[in-house]
Amino acid sequence: MSLAFDILLAFGIVFTAAAALRARDRVATVAGFVVTGLLVALSFVRLGAPDVALAEAAIGAGLTGALLLRSARRLKQVENRMSPPVHRFFAALIASAFAGAIAWAVYTASGTAVYPALVSERLAESGVTNPVTAVLLNFRVWDTLLEIVVLFAALVLVRIVAPAFPQPSVLGQLMLPFARIIVPMCAFIAGHLLWQGASVPGGAFQAGAMLAGGLLVLLLGGFALPTPRLLTWGTMIAFAGLAVFTLAALGTEALTGTLLLYPDGAEKVWIIAIESALTLSIAAMLCLLFCGTPRRAMK
Amino acid sequence: MTAVLYVLGLIFMTVGVGFLLIAALGVWRLPDVMSRLHALTKADTAGLTLIVLGAACLTGRLASLPALGLCVLLVALSGATIGHLIARAHLSKADLE
Repeated sequence: MSLAFDILLAFGIVFTAAAALRARDRVATVAGFVVTGLLVALSFVRLGAPDVALAEAAIGAGLTGALLLRSARRLKQVENRMSPPVHRFFAALIASAFAGAIAWAVYTASGTAVYPALVSERLAESGVTNPVTAVLLNFRVWDTLLEIVVLFAALVLVRIVAPAFPQPSVLGQLMLPFARIIVPMCAFIAGHLLWQGASVPGGAFQAGAMLAGGLLVLLLGGFALPTPRLLTWGTMIAFAGLAVFTLAALGTEALTGTLLLYPDGAEKVWIIAIESALTLSIAAMLCLLFCGTPRRAMK
Repeated sequence: MTAVLYVLGLIFMTVGVGFLLIAALGVWRLPDVMSRLHALTKADTAGLTLIVLGAACLTGRLASLPALGLCVLLVALSGATIGHLIARAHLSKADLE
């Protein structure tokens, strides 16, 4: 029964991806991309990785879809012409070789995962019971710090390239009641995801993406205008997460003598504090990636 | 009791999938945007609600209801709003032409 579901899902992913590539209308292409992302998220659930599934659905499908839609408005219509047969032949050849290599790698892999045993052995020391959060915010927290730096670097780049904020269209009477229910619910679910990340799938990235989704409803519905003042505040909040994280790293260095080694017994407090700051900061960053810059936004 | 819930859940889910199929058929076969929306928004919400009811019966726990109910609420809200937005965009486009 579940095998049939998995096979259908696999075909569905390939089919929607192909449909996204073949669509001539840009909006239809982005819609295909979003549906593919949601199906991929479902496949992560089937593979037993609900944390990745949440991130894929919220960031991979949702927010990336919004960013792509925003860019699609600025691009010209796709020209409807086929590439020459030689190109298509070699493209097919490379794609088949790549697929073959992946299939070979998966087939010959030994199948014994080393990390789960190592993580579960030390899970009690991490301060949280969700192994994914334990790895992200304790065992390999250094990587997460650098990820936030990368996200911040992306934000700085977007500020330099400076795409203008799209003029929100008038969206009609249903938008206000919709926002009145959806936006508080986004904040509520974001808080829930953040808090439950300690024990079950969830965490700062998913919560931040959720919050950013709510903020985008406010921005696109025209309920909050991206004034220079608001965007400056947003940038401050975006930077604050990185600053809190870095200060926490220095604080642990001072307290325990090792960078990002939390004091004994207080791990959960440190993790929740860092994750709360990161949630706000990630939400601000994702929104600002969508908004562009204050200077051009005012035009 | 469990067997009754199980059968009830399967019935709910089958009817729900039927609604979704009708919605898909409507989007595929109906001629214009408005009639497609008409088929999609209603049959979609009804189908999902029935599937969620079925899922609640299959889990057999009342505790599963809030989360499942939230799914229905979100889909019903966004379905109605997005249907409205698409129809509006379609009408203003038709006005321009």
